[in-house]
Amino acid sequence: MRNKHRAIFRTVVLAAAAAAAAAAFGDADLDQAMSSPSNWASQAGDYANHRHSTLNQINEGNVDKLQLAWSMSTGVLRGHEGSPLVIGDTLYMHSPFPNNVYAINLKDQTFKWKYEPRQDEAVVPVMCCDTVNRGLAYGDGKIFLQQADTTLVALDAQTGKVVWSVKNGNPKIGETNTNAPHVFKNLVITGISGGEFGVRGRLTAYDLKTGRVVWKAWSTGPDEDMLIDPKKTLTWTNGRMRPVGKDSSLKTWQGDQWKLGGGTTWGWYAYDPKLNLVYYGSGNPGTWNPHQRPGDNKWSMTIFARDLDTGMAKWVFQMTPHDQWDYDGINEMVLADIKMDGKTVPALVHFDRNGFGYTLNRDTGALLVAQKYDPAVNWATKVDMKTGRPQVDPKHAPGVTAEDVDVKGICPAALGSKDEQPSSYDPSTGYLLVPTNHVCMTYEPFKVEYTAGQPYVGATLTMFPGPNENGDMGNFIAWDPAQGKIVWSDPERFSVWSGALTTDGGVTFYGTLEGYLKAVSTKDGHLLWKAKLPSGIIGNVFTYEYGGKQYLGVYSGIGGWAGIGMAAGLTDPTAGLGAVGGYKDLAHFTNLGGTLFVFTLPQA
Amino acid sequence: MRSARAGLKGMAAALTAISFLSGAGALAATTPQRTASTNRDALRVCADANNLPQSNSQGEGYENKIAEALAHDLGLKLEYTYFPQRIGFVRNTLRAKEEPSGRFKCDVIMGVPYPYELTATTHPYMHSTYALVYRAQGALASIESPADLLKLPASDRATLRIGLFALTPAADWVLRHGLIGRAVLYPAQSGDPKVTALSTVEADFAAGRIDAAILWGPIAGYLVSRRGREDHLRLAPFGADPTIRFDYAIAMGVRFGENDWKSTLDRWIAEHRSDIDRILTGYHVPLLP
Repeated sequence: MRNKHRAIFRTVVLAAAAAAAAAAFGDADLDQAMSSPSNWASQAGDYANHRHSTLNQINEGNVDKLQLAWSMSTGVLRGHEGSPLVIGDTLYMHSPFPNNVYAINLKDQTFKWKYEPRQDEAVVPVMCCDTVNRGLAYGDGKIFLQQADTTLVALDAQTGKVVWSVKNGNPKIGETNTNAPHVFKNLVITGISGGEFGVRGRLTAYDLKTGRVVWKAWSTGPDEDMLIDPKKTLTWTNGRMRPVGKDSSLKTWQGDQWKLGGGTTWGWYAYDPKLNLVYYGSGNPGTWNPHQRPGDNKWSMTIFARDLDTGMAKWVFQMTPHDQWDYDGINEMVLADIKMDGKTVPALVHFDRNGFGYTLNRDTGALLVAQKYDPAVNWATKVDMKTGRPQVDPKHAPGVTAEDVDVKGICPAALGSKDEQPSSYDPSTGYLLVPTNHVCMTYEPFKVEYTAGQPYVGATLTMFPGPNENGDMGNFIAWDPAQGKIVWSDPERFSVWSGALTTDGGVTFYGTLEGYLKAVSTKDGHLLWKAKLPSGIIGNVFTYEYGGKQYLGVYSGIGGWAGIGMAAGLTDPTAGLGAVGGYKDLAHFTNLGGTLFVFTLPQA
Repeated sequence: MRSARAGLKGMAAALTAISFLSGAGALAATTPQRTASTNRDALRVCADANNLPQSNSQGEGYENKIAEALAHDLGLKLEYTYFPQRIGFVRNTLRAKEEPSGRFKCDVIMGVPYPYELTATTHPYMHSTYALVYRAQGALASIESPADLLKLPASDRATLRIGLFALTPAADWVLRHGLIGRAVLYPAQSGDPKVTALSTVEADFAAGRIDAAILWGPIAGYLVSRRGREDHLRLAPFGADPTIRFDYAIAMGVRFGENDWKSTLDRWIAEHRSDIDRILTGYHVPLLP
């Protein structure tokens, strides 16, 4: 075992040297690991967030034969997001808080090493929506862990020893981390969570070898803080890309409100090695009530494209100016070259919480497509393609209608038509396979909130299933990013809160909140296989090959916003059936859990 | 101090009104008080361990004092479950169960707004309002109300620094009056459980970073009683306003559906209005009718 592993590492090192001699696009170790479909070397399997594997041993013809290969407990009964990594003969498993890391020998499923960080329990109350962690990153022979308490740790991939460790934030001002770190070239990139505490969002790039800060780019504030060049950073303006101009953020806030401006960065970032750009989205504008923060509140709710080496913003695109609905813009950025009008376009595809599926030119930042990916979306009638602004429907905009009335039936609900659970891009069909929510909300003003000992008339959100006959609260869809159209849609009883995986076997995999791991045909969505796991699935499906066999894995462990956050937000017993009934139903299907499940085909 | 005293005078009038009303309530209540006391051995309170003037783990807040009086009268031991009164407070206290007993961690939150989305509420036992706390020096020496501050010459207003918290009516008020540029902004909740609204504003007054602050009445009253003399602080409550709600009633919060327990608390509140008011007055809470 050990010798074999060393041999693999030697190969990796040699390959690394070779790659470094050539034009190094990414980290040599990571590029090498990603080049083999046997590995699952990053959270999305690649830099482009495709979540696609070229493995095809498991395919449409045999997927119904899948059976359990092995399983492993993480020892934690909280929401399990993200997925493990596989490099060579080792699987790296992570857990929710306290964020343990386990290196597991694939040969016999024994532990190679364990890393169990000591974190201050005081960080737990500061985490809004369960103590989730979206997984590890690999590069330069190291495993990177972004702990809840904001500590970013580099561990020796072979021994689990700490190589370096830095503090990425301060939990005492509400800063925490749930995102996975991302290794792009010589940098490890991470974000920040804590919008509920008025945390000011930013993306920070650390040197892979030392942990030194290379750049830090804030979402709000003065141009120099945001690494925005007023003359060179562009944004979609009247149908073309124009410079954002001076103080593009400051001008859209009152007084010093930008300092508590939110725009946190807890999603899935992408990297285009050819353009040398990193892409990510920012979250909602802090804790301010919408009418307390007049203006567009830039650059919250924004897609950023930044130069990887310097962090300077090449272009920005704000999706939801002056957010009144909590539609954080942090969801994954999928980089795909797609055919539009006979030409191949270097595109960025993004399914925003606001219910619109966007296709932009990822090189220029130009807006190409913005269409609803759930027909129920009604807060805006459409996105104006000239300005990029959603045409807000005053009937569904809190504070636009009279202040003393409930705003009923806003779709989607605050959790969005889709939350962080990432989609997958299937190159052979050109579809994106997207886990979605089909939940609406009523916004009730004049409910008194009470925070840290001070009352205030805030607004309460009551969520309920979107319009349909069965009360279904989710769909799993295939999306054509060139047309902006749903190709097929599989209804789900609950929101689909698990990351999708497509494979060259023609199969798409995803998990459900009840705990089903499902395989459907990528072409038409028909169900090929399902297995019931002990706890609801909010993790991302991944695949790898070991010893000539393809394996398929996912975490089973309900939690996150869907599991406890939503449950906590939907407990008003005076409310009718609706979502309260719907999400309470989850208790009939599943229980807390924390196990990695791995499936494979039986021996031929 | 003058304004604060005016507030207290108003309070005395309010007390009379409340006592009268609650007297009627007490007559209407007929169930014997024993029922709830017999099936519990302790008054189990959900509280913030560090949120003066409301509560702390040393029992120094007014909610601690009310809980002590309540426990005494019900013949129960007093026990606390602490969690910062911030995001997830109700979920992690009143609605959380102990392992392995399956028993709820605590049974009452001493202070919640009335009415409240997350808990059932007793009858309110306190009605207060937001207040302007200001250093009575320079231009501010002459003012006695928030409205007076607005009447100051523009040149005086242009140098003010007013501390306020997100998600409070203070933000609406400064926005409406074009003072947001003068605001020193604090987040609605701190990530550090040791940092409170009180400690934040107290430190900024002491350091001279702010000339005024807008705070929920109980916090404002307590701050002025503690630091008023050395920092020359005065308190001016906000009156009724057509578009911004400054006044709120506070009740005890219990789980939905626990009606017997709620009735027990309601009866105690009805019968002990004056005791409660004595406690609140001791903490200089500006009270409204």
